[in-house]
Amino acid sequence: MSSLKFVGQDAIRIDGKAKVSGAAQYVDDLEFGPGLLFAEIVESPFAHAEILKIDTSKAERVPGVIKVVTGKDFPFSFGLYLQDRYVFAQDRVRFVGEQVAAVIAIDIVTAKRAAKLVTVTYKELTPVLTVEDALKEHPLLLHPNLKNYKRVPWFFPQADTNIAHLRKVRKGNTDDGLNNADLVFEDTYTVPRYAHCAIETHGAVGLYDLTGRLTVWAASQSPFTQRNLFAEALAPLGLTHNDVRVIAPFVGGGFGGKAGVSMEILAAALATTVRGNPVKIIWSRAQEFYNTYQRQGLVAKTKIGVKKDGTITALEQTLYWDAGAYVEYGANVVNAAGLSATGPYRIPNVKIDSYCIYTNLPPGGPYRGFGYSEFLFGLESHINETAKRIGLDPVEFRRRNAIQEGDILNYGGHMNPSGLRECIDKAAEAIGWGKRVENATESTKVTGKGFACFWKAPAMPPNAASSAFIKFNEDGSLNILISAMEIGQGLLTVMAQIAAEVLTVPISKIRVEVPDTDRNPYEWQTVASHITWGTGNAVKKAAEDCREQIFDLVEHALGKKREDLYLEGEHVCSRSDPTFKKPLREFVINGLMMSDGTFRGGPIMGRGMFMPEFASALSDPETSQGGKPNVHYTVGAAAVELEIDRETGRMRIPKVVLAVDVGKAINPDLVRGQVVGGIVQGIATVLYEDMRFNEKGRLLNPNFTDYKIPTSMDIPDEIISILVEVPQPDGPYGARGVGEHTMIPAAPIIANAIEDALGIRIKSMPITAEKVALEILRAKK
Amino acid sequence: MPILQEFEYFKPSSVNEALHLLSHYKRASVLAGGTDLVNNLKSEIDQPDAVVDIKGISGLHTIVFKKNILTIGAAVTFSELIASKIIQSKYPVIAEAAKTVGSAGIRNRATMVGNICSAVACADSSPLLLVFQANVLVQGKKGKRKVAIAKWLKGNKKTDLKKGELVLAIEIPLPAKKYAGRFVKMGRYSGEDLAQASVVILALPKNQFRIAFGSVGPVPMRAAAIEKVLNGREPSPELIKEAKAMVPALISPITDIRATKEYRMHMSQVMFGRGLNDAVERFRGKGSDYGVSLL
Amino acid sequence: MKRKLSFLLNRRQVHVEVEPQEILLDVLRDRLGIKTPKCGCDRGDCGSCSVLIDGKTVRSCMVLAMEVAGLAVTTIEGLLENDHLTPLQESFIHHNSFQCGFCAPGIILSATELLEHNTHPNDDEIKEAISGNLCRCTGYQPIIDAIKDLTSHPESFNRTDVKKEVKS
Repeated sequence: MSSLKFVGQDAIRIDGKAKVSGAAQYVDDLEFGPGLLFAEIVESPFAHAEILKIDTSKAERVPGVIKVVTGKDFPFSFGLYLQDRYVFAQDRVRFVGEQVAAVIAIDIVTAKRAAKLVTVTYKELTPVLTVEDALKEHPLLLHPNLKNYKRVPWFFPQADTNIAHLRKVRKGNTDDGLNNADLVFEDTYTVPRYAHCAIETHGAVGLYDLTGRLTVWAASQSPFTQRNLFAEALAPLGLTHNDVRVIAPFVGGGFGGKAGVSMEILAAALATTVRGNPVKIIWSRAQEFYNTYQRQGLVAKTKIGVKKDGTITALEQTLYWDAGAYVEYGANVVNAAGLSATGPYRIPNVKIDSYCIYTNLPPGGPYRGFGYSEFLFGLESHINETAKRIGLDPVEFRRRNAIQEGDILNYGGHMNPSGLRECIDKAAEAIGWGKRVENATESTKVTGKGFACFWKAPAMPPNAASSAFIKFNEDGSLNILISAMEIGQGLLTVMAQIAAEVLTVPISKIRVEVPDTDRNPYEWQTVASHITWGTGNAVKKAAEDCREQIFDLVEHALGKKREDLYLEGEHVCSRSDPTFKKPLREFVINGLMMSDGTFRGGPIMGRGMFMPEFASALSDPETSQGGKPNVHYTVGAAAVELEIDRETGRMRIPKVVLAVDVGKAINPDLVRGQVVGGIVQGIATVLYEDMRFNEKGRLLNPNFTDYKIPTSMDIPDEIISILVEVPQPDGPYGARGVGEHTMIPAAPIIANAIEDALGIRIKSMPITAEKVALEILRAKK
Repeated sequence: MPILQEFEYFKPSSVNEALHLLSHYKRASVLAGGTDLVNNLKSEIDQPDAVVDIKGISGLHTIVFKKNILTIGAAVTFSELIASKIIQSKYPVIAEAAKTVGSAGIRNRATMVGNICSAVACADSSPLLLVFQANVLVQGKKGKRKVAIAKWLKGNKKTDLKKGELVLAIEIPLPAKKYAGRFVKMGRYSGEDLAQASVVILALPKNQFRIAFGSVGPVPMRAAAIEKVLNGREPSPELIKEAKAMVPALISPITDIRATKEYRMHMSQVMFGRGLNDAVERFRGKGSDYGVSLL
Repeated sequence: MKRKLSFLLNRRQVHVEVEPQEILLDVLRDRLGIKTPKCGCDRGDCGSCSVLIDGKTVRSCMVLAMEVAGLAVTTIEGLLENDHLTPLQESFIHHNSFQCGFCAPGIILSATELLEHNTHPNDDEIKEAISGNLCRCTGYQPIIDAIKDLTSHPESFNRTDVKKEVKS
């Protein structure tokens, strides 16, 4: 295979100049003229209450108020995988901050002032704030009508309970596996909720124009899924997909939080009440904390059986997910984690019960890692504890049990090619595994090292599709039209590199821009770390389609033998005629002129579509066997050197390493960007971020003053990225996804390093300096 | 979020003009850096009829050192304190403390006077000024007065400011020709944070010490009992250990969403021990560079 | 009651009428078409609203518009000279320093202020200068690398004069 020219290069981002010059526009930057209206939401102060009465009369009388809207104006449910949500609360509210009404006014100050005049009368109900309360005997039911909710066929709600979905995995026989073990070890691990904290808050503008067409501009990872859900939710108003258009500009960070539909439905719905005027809603930072998706909390009970030599004979996981008030998206997190909660290990006997539990807290939803960070904290901590108990080095333990290509997965099916062993070895070497770091004897500091493996597969419906169009311009440049969203990961550049490789047009002559669902072809969502793989395949096919048309034309019009044709440096060349060099720019719009003055060809346009035809969500509901829910797993290993001050508990990271098998790094620099960014985000969930709710379910720290995300002064001293490339057979140039994976191992490597340094095992997150210091003091007593 | 309330805005060019406005309006708020006030205006904690911007009064922007007294004008920002050559040479612990306030963008606006007028329990300037035995220079209709900082800070968000008065400056007497200081602040991480607990120590000639704890009570506390034990004695490790053990009895930290009282108590002892050692070393011409964190 | 406000915005005189309670960030974005300072938190915690006032970074979400009367306000639109990006901006592009880009304007201004008075900052000084600008995507390292590369090799990046970023 000839060497690649564009794929595999550290290309400069094609959106770099826009972002650095200030040209890049985000949804709040778009101008809509003097007709723009502003909406302010009236929110529930209670976590659980019946709505008895809403009095909007005073608000309606405020000059400048155009309309006041409540739940009765939109009694339509919606949801991505399960329809359990409404535009506005209907008969009851289920979390503090849930939207109950909205005021639309000519300016934001009027809207805010009028919103304060809407009076809502509630009857408080007892809030259910923990999974224990939700699961007790005769619990208060948060969704009494659960059994009647429309849902995808691979979700299993438990009627008349607060369990919205239960994913059961049964492989082999864990009773036998545990009986055959030399050691059985069980423990419980607790992970709280987390917030995405993208620096741009959610926002959307909706316009229902005078022809009855609805356009929504949204900071969204999922313009087509949004279009779909808007059309479904508002169908009772007479809207169909043809009437709905979503335009998504640059997104200021997503991390999963801007996927699916959360507050954007408000812009769509409210627009229909003020025909002809656009309506804007931008979430405040506080609302961003308490009224967008949060990462679910998890209580994980883990039981492992191992032989003396470290071979795992059985693993049982019971996962209780605090999924929040509405689980239309979050239930899939529970599902995905449930299928994979063994980590990347070869385990013959597996039992997993993954419970999606309703609570009166903000809705859980997609967050980078999609459940894997949450279960990996406990699993990788547990593995270390198990290795310790049988006297085996924790890295060696992992090596011995590492999953390999062809091994049977938890649900049947076979593991894809993966360089896990290589990742383990390289990460161990880079961190200096086995070598102790000694601190000065009089120092209060002690250093430990922690290790973990990780994996993740995209959690998508089996028919999640990507598509692409390519069109040329007169100067030989080209435009790629896709609907994958640039949320920072750099996909626009990666797509340009792929097209450049096929068509030999340099990246500087390729435009890939943000989508409009009217103009750009379908993309399911920009989630799951699947865009390089899925959309990359679609773009490659579209580029190859263009190339075929180009060769067809040259053969047909100029009589050149097709088998001899190839592209080089923006020219069509022939192996049998070295003098033949036709520049693309000459004919990609204009066609080729014949001797008689007629033309052949015309504008070259390519199309490509990729949808895996081997994935299926159908499986045995009791065992999950027989399904093919995951297209492939990306694997890796990470390690950290952690310095702890025994007096203060404060921790410093001199070095952290992450090795990941990406199949093929289309742009290694951007992959390293994901490693650095993901590690810092992952570390923050352990060391700094600490979400606090009061006993009434109100979030006490919905701001950056008290929910701390890292500043430039809080990052590790050195982050080492190791990119391993064991090709993914069905990926473009062998590529596999990597965006989420880099934060997944952060929590357990730190917990394991703390145990290594201090001999203290901390089984709940976050693990702040305070927690460590107080544990040390407790241990002294 | 826009400010929903309405008020007048004035930018007087003299103290007298400012005082006139402050007594003329029933409720008037003084605006210097705005890093507290503007948030309070947004959340409606403050609801003034008029906002009086004092940045137009040139006399309030000065840092003057005269007759062994440092006078910091009401409009002087933390960035200006850090950059001041006088402060770097004669009061380096003030620069050390100022560097921990917020981040550069906050320090370019926030003022030390504003900090002690907001008088929140976690204010960084409070224990610092207490240990320097600073005075607050206030002017009102009835003329000027000088208030010792210990009397100025009356409680969480409570000061001795009377209606119609304006703080002009803070006066900080030089404690000795040769002395050393140490400011230690605990945040939840290395990035900008409010103080969860803080300690300020001055090491004066003849083994005299001044010690104050901040953010572990509604007002900063002078650790008189510890000073009594230390004063005049060679600060040996045993003596420092004895002094450290006295800390819990003197401070009353609370548990809130930011930290527990156990941790604040423990850290106050740790910070005191490290801070005292460093202050002593600095007095001896060694110790850490001003501005380096001990945590 | 509306008041007349005049100030220098990116080296041009602007005149606008504002209420005393209007916030500088809102006036820049909603009335004067300057979209690069962003509202990330509205409390001064995140730095994405940063602008330069007389060359110093401030949080425009915590400044009343009236406070800038007669002063010089600079946003990244104002850093352009003869339509060229600054060498600092070129370095950021070259290093792929930004991902989603939302924090970029604030960071560029903080770094611009740093380089104005410190042409060879060390790692700690760089980290401290941008520590008030929160970034969730990058983990900061590529931003720091770009600033370091610029100060070590100023000749590698387009405009010749590193110091000429800010004009009051």
